[in-house]
Amino acid sequence: MELKNQLNSPVMFLICGSIVLVVALTCVVFAVRAYRAGKAIGMDVNKMKRTIVASATFAVLPSIGILLGVIALSGNLGTAWPWLRLSVIGALHYETQVAGAAAEAVGMKSLSMDYMTPGSFATIALLMSVCIIWGMVFSLFNCKRYTRRLGAGGGEKAKKKSALSGFGDIAMTAMFIGLVSAYLGSYVGGFVSGEGLFRFAGDWIPLAVALVGAAAMRLFLWIQERWHAAWVESFSIAGSMLIAMTSAIFLGWLA
Amino acid sequence: MNEEKNREIYERYLNTTHLLGRIACVIALVLLLGAPFAIGAYLGAMPDLGAMGRGFASIGLVYLVSCVAEYLIYVPMLGAGGSYLAFITGNLINMKIPCAMNARDIVGAKSGTAENEIISTLSIATSSLVTILILALGVLLLSPLRPVLDSPVLKPAFDSVLPALFGAMACKYYRHHGRIACPTVLLMAALFMLVPGLIGSTSFMITPSGAVAIGLAWFYFRRDRAAKEAQA
Repeated sequence: MELKNQLNSPVMFLICGSIVLVVALTCVVFAVRAYRAGKAIGMDVNKMKRTIVASATFAVLPSIGILLGVIALSGNLGTAWPWLRLSVIGALHYETQVAGAAAEAVGMKSLSMDYMTPGSFATIALLMSVCIIWGMVFSLFNCKRYTRRLGAGGGEKAKKKSALSGFGDIAMTAMFIGLVSAYLGSYVGGFVSGEGLFRFAGDWIPLAVALVGAAAMRLFLWIQERWHAAWVESFSIAGSMLIAMTSAIFLGWLA
Repeated sequence: MNEEKNREIYERYLNTTHLLGRIACVIALVLLLGAPFAIGAYLGAMPDLGAMGRGFASIGLVYLVSCVAEYLIYVPMLGAGGSYLAFITGNLINMKIPCAMNARDIVGAKSGTAENEIISTLSIATSSLVTILILALGVLLLSPLRPVLDSPVLKPAFDSVLPALFGAMACKYYRHHGRIACPTVLLMAALFMLVPGLIGSTSFMITPSGAVAIGLAWFYFRRDRAAKEAQA
């Protein structure tokens, strides 16, 4: 059988699908436990339901983006392996980079089905796994100690003891602001200096899309505050993304 | 009395979460590292461990450093249950972290609290299940869906998932934290303009960017606290 057919065969889907299933069951177990624990300690059930609705709607568009990653990789790695990688542990921006780098590392000219052998595929698959497992390895050995030290798992007592009491929440928000700022900064830098220092000839679409996303979000926030429509919040990120992503199509015509 | 009981329930929940999280990590590690060998057995050619080692030395170390940074940064945001799940299911920057932050923001959960732990776990589990479901459906319907998803008309939209996400998140977070956000984003923009070579390594710039934002937050936190104490 040709390698491409083998990589898309039922056996491959069985191997990869069984792993996806185990991870899906893990998510269900964690979700059910969290929901029950929340109820047991007297958390507002509506808040938990809103979290579930907001997270589900939030995840739809990025998931379609991830599906495109599966499709993009499927030409060179078959469909089953990218499906596993992007359902479990992988990351959209990581997989395409590391698959290409792994192909070069095993001596292929580039990541292409033309150069792929069964041995090189198995080696690339292993290398892709080994490169990204470390978050899981650290969690396995250190998560309990780390969260206790942070007070995140130590309850209110640990929090009170901390000299940084009250700062933890601000620090988390600040870290997230740092994450968002790094990406927004890169869009500005890409436009201004992407094609040469301060030539303003780089790709401006990511920056414009981010601005449209921000404007759409502002509109959703205004609707929410103006009409006290709390439900809007659950859909505001997904809605803003949809508007911004649609704008990318039209902005692309101008580019 | 009730508070004491709740604390007990929560502590028990956390201990079991760590136990289950570790078990889940071991199972996921065994399956993920075992899969290439199972596939190799099916294809009739095992992975070349020498080539794998050389490949890891050339590209893996970069990702190892990145994983350490991600671990140190994201665990405090996600709590215990959320962290185990997020590191097993992946897609942290482009989905899990913003999703958990959004959920936390919607319900007003404070970091380090039981509420934050529960909300993060629910958020990450839900978003992971949605991704798994959409990917499974997408793979199942790959042939009929491919022309639509591969359409050149829609391509710019799907290429813009991250700018769309971060633009929306920026509006939400920047408006109440302008004094932290403005200097940080200006600094990062200046850095990327002056050193455009960094654009391809944006994920590595999250740590310094976060450090600047946390430094500013710490400065304002201390200044505001000192002002409050002076008033009191």
